[in-house]
Amino acid sequence: MSGYWARRTGSALLVLGLVLVLNFVLFRMMPGDPVASIIDPNFSPEAKARLSEVYGLDQPLPVQFLLYVRSTLTFDFGISFLTGRPVIDELKSRLPNTVMLLGTSLVLSSLLGTWLGMKAALKRGSLLEKCVLWSGALSFSFPSFFVQLVLLMAFAAALPLFPLRGTLSVPPPAGGLPLLLDYLWHMALPVFSLVLLGFGGWALYVRNLMVKILGEDFILLARARGLPERNIILGHAFRTLLPPLLTIFLLSLPGVVSGAVITETVFSLHGVGRFLLEAVTGHDYPAAGASFFLLAFLTVSCNLLSDLLYGLTDPRVRMERGGRR
Amino acid sequence: MKKSLFALFLSAAILAFCSSPRETAAGTFDPEAFAGPKVKDLYLVIIRDPDAQLLALNRGRADILGDLYRPVDVDALSKSPAVELSIAPGFHGFFLGFNVRTFPWNSVDLRRSAWQVLPRERMVRDLFAGYAEPLSTFLPPVSPYFEPDVTVYPHDPEAARKRLADAGWTWGSDGVLISPDGEKIPPQKLICPTASTAPTTAEIAVRMAEALSAIGIPVEAEPMDFSTMISKLDERDFQMYVLAWQMTRDPDSLYAFYSSKMDIRGGYNMSGISDPELDKVLDRLRFAPDEAAARAAASEAQKLLSDLVPVVPVYSRYTISAVSKQWKGTLVTDRVTADNIWSLLAMEPASGPMRPLYLVQADEPRALNPFTSSSAYDWQILGLIYDSLIAVDPYTLETIPWLAESWTLKTEEGPSGPRTVLTFRLREGVEWHDGTPLTAADAAFTYETLRKNAVPRYFDNVDNIETVETPDDHTLRVTMKNVSFWHLHRVGGIPILPRHVIEKVTDWRSWLPASEKHPSDTGLTGLVGTGPFVFREYRPGEYVRLSGNERFWLGRKR
Repeated sequence: MSGYWARRTGSALLVLGLVLVLNFVLFRMMPGDPVASIIDPNFSPEAKARLSEVYGLDQPLPVQFLLYVRSTLTFDFGISFLTGRPVIDELKSRLPNTVMLLGTSLVLSSLLGTWLGMKAALKRGSLLEKCVLWSGALSFSFPSFFVQLVLLMAFAAALPLFPLRGTLSVPPPAGGLPLLLDYLWHMALPVFSLVLLGFGGWALYVRNLMVKILGEDFILLARARGLPERNIILGHAFRTLLPPLLTIFLLSLPGVVSGAVITETVFSLHGVGRFLLEAVTGHDYPAAGASFFLLAFLTVSCNLLSDLLYGLTDPRVRMERGGRR
Repeated sequence: MKKSLFALFLSAAILAFCSSPRETAAGTFDPEAFAGPKVKDLYLVIIRDPDAQLLALNRGRADILGDLYRPVDVDALSKSPAVELSIAPGFHGFFLGFNVRTFPWNSVDLRRSAWQVLPRERMVRDLFAGYAEPLSTFLPPVSPYFEPDVTVYPHDPEAARKRLADAGWTWGSDGVLISPDGEKIPPQKLICPTASTAPTTAEIAVRMAEALSAIGIPVEAEPMDFSTMISKLDERDFQMYVLAWQMTRDPDSLYAFYSSKMDIRGGYNMSGISDPELDKVLDRLRFAPDEAAARAAASEAQKLLSDLVPVVPVYSRYTISAVSKQWKGTLVTDRVTADNIWSLLAMEPASGPMRPLYLVQADEPRALNPFTSSSAYDWQILGLIYDSLIAVDPYTLETIPWLAESWTLKTEEGPSGPRTVLTFRLREGVEWHDGTPLTAADAAFTYETLRKNAVPRYFDNVDNIETVETPDDHTLRVTMKNVSFWHLHRVGGIPILPRHVIEKVTDWRSWLPASEKHPSDTGLTGLVGTGPFVFREYRPGEYVRLSGNERFWLGRKR
C-alpha cells in the first residue's frame, strides 16, 4: 500500500514539475508583446524599451526561467505587470471571496443535487422525478450570466432584498458581527445563483447512477435477504454511489479557484477568476504563472487525494491494491 | 423607431451645440466659482458589469456614472426622471490604417478610393445609434487645432471607381483590381480585435471588408487577440488594421503617427507614411515656438494628410455620462461631460443635508503609484489627489493657472541653439494634505526625480528638460533643451509630488503609497498631494474612499 502511495505522490510531483516548465514556455511563446499591452499609447519607443527592462523581459530566456522557478518554489510570485502589486497579495485578497463563493455553492449544490437525485431515483415515474428531471435539465442548460442578471434585477433592483454589488456595504458597518452578517448578506445572491445553476448536473448524474445501482444484483440480493429498505439504500446503494461522487467533488475543487469569471463580474466581486482571465489576456506573466501553478497544484493534489480516498471508500479498490503487494 | 428618433434628436442637439461659436463661453469660466470641494466623503465604488452599474444608478446606490458606451444604456437612462445625461464630443478617434510601405497600399489613388467607398455615415448610424459621429479628419472636431478646410472623400463608390480607372487601374475577369503596372491586388487581411473584446470594431471591420471587396480590393477581416494585434503592428507585419485612439487637446498625435522619424519598431507611425514635406511640417508643429505657429503647422499637416491618406478616419465616439438629479452643481460644457473635477468640487445634495457622493469606478485601481500608474482607473483617483502647475479651461481647452498662478514662456539663445525657458510663479499658501507648505523645491524635486530615473510614464514630458532652478520658494525656472510651445503643456501638466515624501522612496517602481502609513498623521497614507481630495482607504474589489481636503487652496477662498 505504501508503495502505491509513494508512486502516486511521485508522479504527482513529476506532473507539477512539467507544469512549471510548460507554464514558462507557453506564456513566452504566446503571440503578443507584454509591453504592448501595458503601455500608454503616447509612450516613446525609448520608454517602451525601458519598461521591458524594468520587467526583466530583456534578460535571456534561461535566466528568466531560473528566476521563475526560484520565485515559484518560494511562493514569491513577483510583482503583477498589470496591478503593480505583489501577485501573492493579489491572490490573498481575492482567494477568500472566490473560495467562499464557489466553495459554498459547490457544497450546497452537491448536497442538494445528491439528495434530489436520490429521491428521484427512489420514486421513479413520480411527479417528483419529473420535477427533478426538468429542473435539473433547466439548471444545467441556462447561461449563467442570464440567470444571474435576472436574479440581480429581481431580488436586488425590483425587490431590494439583496445588495447590488460587492462583498460589503459602502460604507461598511462597524463591528465584527455586523460586518460578518453584511458579508453573508452580500454573498447570498451570488451563492444562490450558483446553486441554482449547479444542482441540476448533480441531480441528473446521481439519479442516473442510482437507478443503475438499484438495478444491480447485489441490491436485489439484499432485498431478497429481507434487509430493511433504509439499510439497503444507505448501506449498499449509497455506499456504491459515494466513490464516484467523491471523485467528482474533488475534481470540481480546482474549479473553485478558476471558474468564477462571469459571476464575479456580474456581482462585482473581487475574486481570482477575473484576475486569472486578465492575467492571461494581458500577458501578465507573473500573475498568470502563479494562478496556473496554483490551479495545477490544486488539480494534481485533488486528483491524488481522490485516488487515495477511493481506496478508503471502495472495498474493491482496497482488495485490488492488497493483491498487488 | 422611437430609439432612432431620440438618437437623431440627440445628435442634432449636439451638433447645434458644437457649432455655436466657441467665443460665447470663452473668458466666462471662473475657477473661483468652484471653491470646494463641498462633499465631505467621496466613494469611488467599484462596479464592473455595465448592467450592474446601471442598476446601481437607478437604485440610488451610485450618483455618477461616467463614459456610457452602450447606446441601449443611454436610451434606458434617458427615460429615467431621476437621472441627468450629459454628452460631449470627445477626443476619441477610430481609424482604418494601411501598410503604405508595400503594394497595393503604396498607391495614394487606391487609398483615396478606399476612403471613398467606406459607408462611414451608415456604419456609425447602424452601430452607434447616433452616439458617435463620422470623422473626416485626423484630429477630432472638438480639438482646438481641428482644420475643417481639408480635402474630403464622401461616400461614393462610383467616383472611387472612376478615380482608379483615370489613374490606369483596371479590373480582371474576377473583378479584382489590377494596377497600372499590371500587378493584381493579392488577398488582403484587415486585422482587428475579436468580437468578444470589441464587438463594434469587429463588426466595422467586416463591413469595411465588404465595401472594399465590392470595388475589387479583395479584403477579409481577421480578428485576433488585442495584444497580438498590437505586436503585429509594432513588427509592421500587416496589410490593413483598424484601431481607436484617445487623443489629447494637443495635436502632437499628428507627429507621433505620421512623422517618418516615428516609423521605427514600436513607434506609432504604423502605416509607414514617409513624406519629406509632411515631415517638415510635423517638425514645425513639434517645435513650434508659439501658439500661432503651432496652429499654422497643425492646419497644414491636416491638409497634407488628407491628400496623402495614410489612414482613413472613420468615427469619433461621444463621451456620455449620467448624474443623479439628487445632486446639483455639476459643470457640463460642449467639451466635457458632468463627471469632471469641477463638478466634484461644486456638487452638493439638491435638497437635505450633506451625504457621501458615490461615483462608479468601472474597474479596480491598480498600483495607485503616481510614478508608474498609467491606467485610467488609477488616474481617476490619483487625479483628484495630485495637482499640476496648470489646468485646462473646460470651455475652451486653453491653459489656465492652477498651482502656478502665472508663468512666462521665453525663447533664449543657449550654447547649442535657441531654447525655451519656462518661469512659473507658484501660488502662495498652498499646503500638502499633511499641512507642509508647497514650495518650488517640491516641483523641482519631482522633475529631477522623474528625469534622473527616466520614469517611463513621464519620459516624453521631462526628456527635453535641461535644468530646473528655484530662485526662491515660489519661483520655478525650467530651461528646456530646445524650443517648443508644447513644453508648457508637457512640463506644466506633470503632477507635483511632495519632496518630503518622495525623497524617502527607495524604489519608485514598487512603491505602493496607498498601503503605507503616513509617519505623523494617522488618517493619511503615502499618497500625499495638494489636490481637492485626500486618500483615506482602498478596499480591493469594493471602493476607494476619499475625503474633501479642508486645506485645499481654492476651497479656503470660500
